[in-house]
Amino acid sequence: MDGPLLETKLHQPRRRPGAVTRPRLSQLLDAGLSARLTLVCAPAGFGKTTAVAQWLGDRSGVAWVSLDEHDDEGSFWAYLCAALHRATGLTTEALPLLPADGGLRLLLSDLEALPGQEVVVVLDDYHAVAGTEVHEGLAFLLEHLPEHLHVLLATRADPPLPLSRLRVQGELVELRAADLRFTADEARTYLADVMGLSLPPESVTALAERTEGWAAALQLAGLSLQGRGDSADAVAAFAGDDRFVVDYLVDEVLARQPDEVRDFLLQTAVLTRMTGPLCDAVTGRTTGAAQLEALDRANLFVVPLDDRRQWYRYHHLFRDMLLTHLTDPAPLHLRASAWLEDSGDLPTAVEHALAAHDQERAADLMERVFAQMAKERREPEFAPWVASVPEEVLARRPVLAVWMVGALTLVSRFDTVEARLDEVERRVQAVDGRWPEVPPEGLVVRDLDGYRTMPAMVQMYRSALALSRGDLPSTVARARRALQLSPEGDHQVRASSRALEGLAAWATGDLASAEAAYTAATVDLRAAGYLADVLGLATTLADLRRAQGRLAEAERAFRNALEMTRDAPGAPLRGTADMHVGLADLLLDRGDRAGAADELARAEALGEHKGLPKNPYRARLLRARLTDDHDTALALVDEAERLYNSDYSPHVAPVPAVRARLHLRFGEVRAAQAWARARSLTADDELNYVQEYEHITLARIFLASGESVAAGGLLRRLAEAAEAGGRYGTLVEILVLQALARGSSLDRAVRLAEGEGLVSVFTDEGEPVQRLLRQLPPTPFVARLLRTERPAPPRGLPEPLSEREMDVLRLLVSDLDGPDIARTLHVSLNTMRTHTRSIFRKLDVTSRRAAVTRATELALL
Amino acid sequence: MSESYRIRVRGHLTDRWATAFDGFTLTREPDGSTALTGSVVDQSALHGLLRQLADLGLPLLSVTPVDSHTTS
Repeated sequence: MDGPLLETKLHQPRRRPGAVTRPRLSQLLDAGLSARLTLVCAPAGFGKTTAVAQWLGDRSGVAWVSLDEHDDEGSFWAYLCAALHRATGLTTEALPLLPADGGLRLLLSDLEALPGQEVVVVLDDYHAVAGTEVHEGLAFLLEHLPEHLHVLLATRADPPLPLSRLRVQGELVELRAADLRFTADEARTYLADVMGLSLPPESVTALAERTEGWAAALQLAGLSLQGRGDSADAVAAFAGDDRFVVDYLVDEVLARQPDEVRDFLLQTAVLTRMTGPLCDAVTGRTTGAAQLEALDRANLFVVPLDDRRQWYRYHHLFRDMLLTHLTDPAPLHLRASAWLEDSGDLPTAVEHALAAHDQERAADLMERVFAQMAKERREPEFAPWVASVPEEVLARRPVLAVWMVGALTLVSRFDTVEARLDEVERRVQAVDGRWPEVPPEGLVVRDLDGYRTMPAMVQMYRSALALSRGDLPSTVARARRALQLSPEGDHQVRASSRALEGLAAWATGDLASAEAAYTAATVDLRAAGYLADVLGLATTLADLRRAQGRLAEAERAFRNALEMTRDAPGAPLRGTADMHVGLADLLLDRGDRAGAADELARAEALGEHKGLPKNPYRARLLRARLTDDHDTALALVDEAERLYNSDYSPHVAPVPAVRARLHLRFGEVRAAQAWARARSLTADDELNYVQEYEHITLARIFLASGESVAAGGLLRRLAEAAEAGGRYGTLVEILVLQALARGSSLDRAVRLAEGEGLVSVFTDEGEPVQRLLRQLPPTPFVARLLRTERPAPPRGLPEPLSEREMDVLRLLVSDLDGPDIARTLHVSLNTMRTHTRSIFRKLDVTSRRAAVTRATELALL
Repeated sequence: MSESYRIRVRGHLTDRWATAFDGFTLTREPDGSTALTGSVVDQSALHGLLRQLADLGLPLLSVTPVDSHTTS
């Protein structure tokens, strides 16, 4: 959820002045401080919230969240983080990653780092939260909760958490209905001190028995007895009645209120949150604010939602009871809806219009609010609303109907999408996807700007639908049509269409088209201000260009994206880490291991939370590429497989295939063969681009098992396909393998690789390729390939460092800055710089840090 | 296919409650309980109804399926 957070939901209810204290409950709750979880579990009206608020008093370090049925996994974590921030000053970047494991771990480590203060997290009305992700995430947090943190759940039903395990571990303290029931003594104190009633002992006992200590019932009983001379008779009548206790008492209380108060209670019961002017709009009076205050003072079941007492709500149970008295709530809902519309709270205005069964009004409001919500990426919130609009209303509202499709595609519910889009186009009499300038007679359009963007959106959704079915040609065709139909300034639709086109082209191996589409999408995203998405696309662009053998262009994709987002608000943006991981991969391609290690260090310094969904697995594959240790590399690949997230990209380099190559690197041919068998790959497979990486891996396995004939045949076909698709980066690798299979010349591979400086594709193959390289004319590039050998790093340097350079190098390891080093060595700063430059050149590095890494690798220090 | 149920709660409910439990018949029993009899479209609707009862704090006594031919 990116929507605004409601302040009122983080408001911790204050102890009511003069409220009865219940030391019994506070002692039980105190025990909770030595456990991870306190569960306050009882039906509505048992005084759960009050008991917790009284116990907390003015305690600091309380993160309070009042949940309601609108909360889903998105908003739940947002409120939790906001409440923690308020209570402890905690700042965490975990939110966008929650509830994924990475996000939870990050949140835990941030919580761990808080100064030792005790923190109590209170989640009130936890039963209202739907979605198993929330429960799973909370269970994970509980399992790893830092010592000084405690979670308290107030709920009507036992939550789906591992309660029995916590109970056995002594980490669960429970307050249940039996504990919360008022004892006769507590009832007496309450009725006397809070309600100001002096009742005969037998009346108190009768009340406690009849209400079974149920707080809400006791409070209602007290209210109904206030100012009555015949209280003993009233209690006797109540005790002898069979009616549902709360129902009976609400009737009694209402009957004893002045007409004005009773009307106010009944009319405003339709509101889930109340403020003076809103109440006035519903009741048609002007005394709302004063009424609310009076109700608050009279203990008439209103709960203040803020410290300034501007917003209130009724106690849930009381409101439910009041609602049963309403025979015709629709007009009240409509008045509430109108006020909320004027005050700008369109989403709540929609809720009331729906409650009034005024679907036309609800539809009007939805249409007006959708464009804004879409900009805020809140489309998932549409789905339940639109589902409550009858089909015949939707049929007349093309704009709303298309938004509904958007909501459905976002939650991957494609089953009715096509029929809905067909229906919309039929109704508006679309011709070849084009909609008439003016909506046809009989259709309702409230958002004319929206109407103009709809034709393109329809095509875009058709494109997404085609992609979900694996129909790539239609994906491309529809995306292109969307682009033609989109209004000039609609960057959002244009970028989405182009990305869809790029995705489809990529999956078919048409990298040139894919690259062009993604480049254009980047321009639109930038214009629309979606900078985080620009970073996401940079990785895709670089992947495409790398396969094309255009390393410099690939590098530019990352550098441009970094440049573009450097000064963005909130920089470094999420996705910045991906750029450094990507750059490291490119540097490795060029044989610059030290530079790659440098970029990896930059990515790691930013932290996992600055990475997009793909980054966790990509970073691990990079580290596996960088290490020479067998176990470390395999463990990293295992982690990468667990963290794999294609983020909608085609699976062009699946992690298991990467692992198979790693096995080959360490001479474990059988393990690699087992992978190929499991994937049912053979030399005669029909080739397709998405499997190219796997087939090249298969060819490598053939080579390693001495089956050079099978390898040769497969490689010839792979080379043809790569060449036809313009994938020259891939082609170089295939040519190297062909040369190995046949013992033939590396001439063409070297020529293709030289311009962009592709090094590792040769040097990773070790001695066999070195032998072939030595047969070529010793151009500078060939010399470099022979120099940059792997896996055994050379001990010496082609051009050794001078004594003076060694002196400088030793100081480069230290913390001294340039002028300090110059002073220490008694040389001028310029001389020192000359030495440094020379060291960098000889070590083939570009930074001080890389020089140190390289020197360490070469055991120079 | 709808399923019919008889749900007993403790305490008498007035007829006003019939609107809250749309389509259900309320019968007040001499033992101080109220029986709600009616049909729901599926199990999810039944659970929703039970949750509504719980939200109102009504103590649940029993839920029994009844032969749909005799009720509707």
